[in-house]
Amino acid sequence: MTNELKQLAPDRIKRNPDNPRIFFRSEEMDTLTASIKRYGIQVPITVYQDGRHYVLIDGERRWRCALKLNLPSIPALIQEKPSPLRNLLLMFNIHALREQWDYFTIARKLPDVIGLFKKENRGREPTEIELSELTGLTRGQIRRCRFLLDLPEKYHEILARELSLPKNLQTLSEDFFIEMERALKTVNTRLPTAIRNMDTARDVLIQKFRSKTIKNITDFRMLSKMATSIGRVGMQEEKALEAIKQILNPQRKVGIQEIFAEHFEMRFDERKVLLSVDSIYEYLEISIDAEDADEISEELRGRLVKLRTLITRVLGR
Amino acid sequence: MPFDTLSPRLKAVATASLSLCRNRWGHQGLRKEEPIDGSISWRPTYFLKPSRFEIIAVEVDDKIYTEVLKSAAHDIGNFDHPITVYQASPLDVFQNDPRMARIGLLRDHGFGIITVDDEGNARIQHTAQPLAQNILPTRFESDLSGLTQSLKIAFRAAYVTFQTNVGQGLQQAGQIVEGMIGSICSQAEANGTIATSAGSLADKIDLLYQSNHFRQYRGTLGGVRSFVREFRNTASHAPRSAKEAAEKIRNCKDGFLTGLRLAKQLREDMQRAGYIIRQFVP
Repeated sequence: MTNELKQLAPDRIKRNPDNPRIFFRSEEMDTLTASIKRYGIQVPITVYQDGRHYVLIDGERRWRCALKLNLPSIPALIQEKPSPLRNLLLMFNIHALREQWDYFTIARKLPDVIGLFKKENRGREPTEIELSELTGLTRGQIRRCRFLLDLPEKYHEILARELSLPKNLQTLSEDFFIEMERALKTVNTRLPTAIRNMDTARDVLIQKFRSKTIKNITDFRMLSKMATSIGRVGMQEEKALEAIKQILNPQRKVGIQEIFAEHFEMRFDERKVLLSVDSIYEYLEISIDAEDADEISEELRGRLVKLRTLITRVLGR
Repeated sequence: MPFDTLSPRLKAVATASLSLCRNRWGHQGLRKEEPIDGSISWRPTYFLKPSRFEIIAVEVDDKIYTEVLKSAAHDIGNFDHPITVYQASPLDVFQNDPRMARIGLLRDHGFGIITVDDEGNARIQHTAQPLAQNILPTRFESDLSGLTQSLKIAFRAAYVTFQTNVGQGLQQAGQIVEGMIGSICSQAEANGTIATSAGSLADKIDLLYQSNHFRQYRGTLGGVRSFVREFRNTASHAPRSAKEAAEKIRNCKDGFLTGLRLAKQLREDMQRAGYIIRQFVP
């Protein structure tokens, strides 16, 4: 019976309760339905038999389209019933190689993979490398999932609600939460007194993002920079703390970009210039020591002369 | 589990819209996520059979006017049972349709629209009639071209009636054609082409048909005669089964479009014969 190809009535097939995919967006489903209507199902779905019915291993979207199109039958490869861990890992690997699931989808199922792995390995938790090998996900993807996984349930619900919306109606995305969590983690590590309550901070940032006070999810990287500014650009701790507190204050209609531009941008720009100056300095020093110092190109010589004039004007004679 | 393939958000839309439909049409013949018939390439989210001759089917989706609805329209229109189709969507999806383009298309193609807001309040935004009786507004307007302004107005009124009552709509279209014949006969009698304009409509058409003056327009006059006989049968015939009800709808639609085409032909021919149709309401 293993790997037997059959035509099955869609009504005899049941969805797999362990399928990590939880969002079936109308836009995507509609495109697939149109394609199936036109060309039929070209790739068989994969199922295993469970009594009088069959359970999906792979192909839930195709099966849903077949139901919607009222197709009398659907091509299906029938496999042996897999073990619970194998069942889950089959689905992970199919999607790691093909169209990727939402991170949130993966995040919700990762604990199941870890749990089943522990059961089969005398309670030992898989390492990140093992998890990557098992699921077909990169370690970076696993880390991103963990950010989502570590969110309190309340935010899982918010994210699930957002992800079930059509794309044009979504405000918060998985990337939003990942960027926000990264930034909050950095702030919490570098300036622990800046955040009294993580959930309150999250709520303020979500509210400011929804109201477009925070304009872009990449703004959260500036928040991280603010937290690291003490060590990196010599910012005073009180100033950095005060700036972050302003962002986390729901009463103040101020975003990350404005605060960063006002208090930090110059410092970070100066740091960039410093690195460039160091690099010029190093190059010139090497040139002086070298025997072919006179062989600096005309173009570079011209620019250095210009730079000298400008430096004299800025610093005075 | 019913509606199990829907997201929680769409499940709420399905539940609220179903409750609205039950209040409006009752719950007779309710089926959830089941096919209406194997010949229709679409499985609605749910459907009801409020009467022997009527099916109300609802598709719940986040996308206005999905491909599956588009492609199933032909099957639905030709099915041996009149089916009225609604799409139920969250209100925000309805409100966010750019320039109401997809909503307009859905409505023009004969589908109704139900919306459900965040509080679960369902509302019918556009009512619908069985899909088989839908005449595309763009097609109707294009078929009107060539008619006089007053004929256009009369046919538009008949079209409005047709959308809610196919029999009456066809009747109204037939009356316009009758009135046109009456107008021609009066003028023909006045100029001595025919002896009298009295008698039944069939008699009047026969008189025109027999006259040498109208010899080259006998094709059109013959068409009008069969149309008048046919539409009277069709419009007044009470269906005894769902199949007959579906057939009646299709026949009324054919009849309405034939009436429109004949009115145009008649007007053009009579213009060539030197007649101006002034009064067309009998």
